[in-house]
Amino acid sequence: MSPFQRYLLTKTGWYLLAFFLAIAANFYLPRLIPGNPVDALVARMAAGGGAEGEALRRIYQHYISEFGLDRPMWEQFLVYLGNLARGDLGTSFSVFPARVSDLILKALPWTIALQLPAILLGWILGNTLGAIAAYRGGWFDRGAFVGSLFISSIPYYCLAIMLLYGLAVALPIFPAGGGYSYGRLPTLSWSFLMDALRHYWLPFLSLVLIFIGGQAVGMRSMAIYELNSDYVNYARSLGVPDRRIISYIFRNAMLPQVTGLALSIGSLVGGALITEIVFGYPGIGTLLFSAIRQNDYPLIQGVTLLIVIGILLANYLVDIAYGLIDPRVRAVQAGER
Amino acid sequence: MQPILTVDRVHAVYRLPNGAEVHAVDGVSLSIAEGEILGIVGESGCGKSTLASVISLTARPPLYVSEGRLIFNGHSVPLTALDRVPNDWRGRVIALLPQGAMNSLNPTLRVRDFVVDVLRAHDHSIDRRIAIERARERLEQLSLPPRVLDSYPHQLSGGMKQRVVAVLSTILNPRVLIADEPTSALDVSSQRALVNLLLELLERQIIGSIMFISHDLPLLSNVADRIAVMYAGELVELGTTPQIVRAPQHPYTRALLQATLVPERTIRGRRIEGIPGQPPDLRQPPPGCRFHPRCPYALEQCRRERPPLETIEGRQVACWWVARQHRTVPSMEGLAP
Repeated sequence: MSPFQRYLLTKTGWYLLAFFLAIAANFYLPRLIPGNPVDALVARMAAGGGAEGEALRRIYQHYISEFGLDRPMWEQFLVYLGNLARGDLGTSFSVFPARVSDLILKALPWTIALQLPAILLGWILGNTLGAIAAYRGGWFDRGAFVGSLFISSIPYYCLAIMLLYGLAVALPIFPAGGGYSYGRLPTLSWSFLMDALRHYWLPFLSLVLIFIGGQAVGMRSMAIYELNSDYVNYARSLGVPDRRIISYIFRNAMLPQVTGLALSIGSLVGGALITEIVFGYPGIGTLLFSAIRQNDYPLIQGVTLLIVIGILLANYLVDIAYGLIDPRVRAVQAGER
Repeated sequence: MQPILTVDRVHAVYRLPNGAEVHAVDGVSLSIAEGEILGIVGESGCGKSTLASVISLTARPPLYVSEGRLIFNGHSVPLTALDRVPNDWRGRVIALLPQGAMNSLNPTLRVRDFVVDVLRAHDHSIDRRIAIERARERLEQLSLPPRVLDSYPHQLSGGMKQRVVAVLSTILNPRVLIADEPTSALDVSSQRALVNLLLELLERQIIGSIMFISHDLPLLSNVADRIAVMYAGELVELGTTPQIVRAPQHPYTRALLQATLVPERTIRGRRIEGIPGQPPDLRQPPPGCRFHPRCPYALEQCRRERPPLETIEGRQVACWWVARQHRTVPSMEGLAP
């Protein structure tokens, strides 16, 4: 077995262990929330006046045993693991009897379509801005730095609400909420896509802005550090042109930024909760939020499982991809030191 | 002796953020001849490395050159405007062999890719393969393993890295190599290997001359043809190596030799004497001769007037006391029968 394969194997082992621990936490944590999902379900029924007294008690019992909540915790866990192994995420309590996987699959495209382009665009623009600011210095640097710092340090919900107020209420350029207009049904028609696109811009803009801000601040300080390093000075003393030197700096300053990008992509499946709430946008964030409010254990577990997989996978890929960019990491992977 | 490079009245300051100025190099003039090794010696903070970065055209904020020019082959270039220096000068006329070779190479670039960048900077049309081949030949001539071309900097040992940097610094056949404490981070055997390499490069006329900056007087006395002694930003004595080592005139040069361990029989039995006091604060250098607060021979005149560099006993010395000695000694000789 080559050292790189051994490296890959150990890494994989560690990630599998982390995955198992995360599943256990996923299972137990929602059950620590006070209250019982069946209480909420039955209370809704009673409020609707559908059943009373003994009937209600029997419905309650039925649901408890249907969901397996009367069995001991460890047994429930084993059942959960068994279902998981078969790819069954269970049935939602709150949107009974919808399947958890169906609910997630319906919300996921919205989340990905909103966040993936925003993260990629924000990452590219932010890093370019940061590198140029570090290299140019002077007023450009000060403007870009202060602006980025401002945008990345105001709480995101403030930025989102300010954008919403400014561009949807004060100046009604964009619609104020939703993923599409009321009364429309998601279909794959041209007019629906145009309508969805109109609703898309504002949440998209808010995400791109904070991403640019955060990336630019990080990239700028990394690039300044690299600019002052000995190898830049040495390359200059030998007459290497500035644009070559900038490419050295960009690559070396980029290393930590790549981690940031991968982690953002990994965690994007968790949904942009605040974006989705402020802009009333459909997606995984809203789904998780309502699941937590209703103690919907299977739905919470389903969404958090998705997040766990996303983050672990992203970290795993970063660990391996890093070696492609940095020869020093590659040396470690190949067991040279 | 026709000088190939003349450094004319260099004055360089570090501008601190609080507005203070540190006069690190104050009116230093030097020249170096073809085939010569000029040593520059002085204690830490005497301005020798600052002088190196000024001459190697790598001064950058907070270091500013307020006065001075370089004259090469009759061409005069002001050091106050580095962007007016022809790019061809960097690496071809003057090359830097930096102090910290450990960090002088871009960690994510193979040595051969850097070679290509350096050669392309001066010959845009050079083919990649030809550039690498040229470096390979050079390494073979100097009996260094050509495999270093395929290495990343972290794969080379410290001594090897310093020798590779020496080859890179001289790949453009510079007329003057500014070696800024190239041996200070090396163990004795690596020091020897590097010095031999530099001597060989000079002998093969790959480099025209070497300005060897060091605090290691015994090392300099073995390799240098002439030695310039700096103290507190000024040149205090400049002469041939035998003049400086066997018959130092300036009290600082004498003190420096007294403080050096030399394994030569005549000097070996002598006690090592330190130099009392500390070098002056260059934000506010003392008036008159800068060495006077530590000088055992200081005269009243030394506290008020700056001594000029005068030619005494075939070398240049800036000292009132030495000048007085030499005005009186000949007259006393004249009196003797």
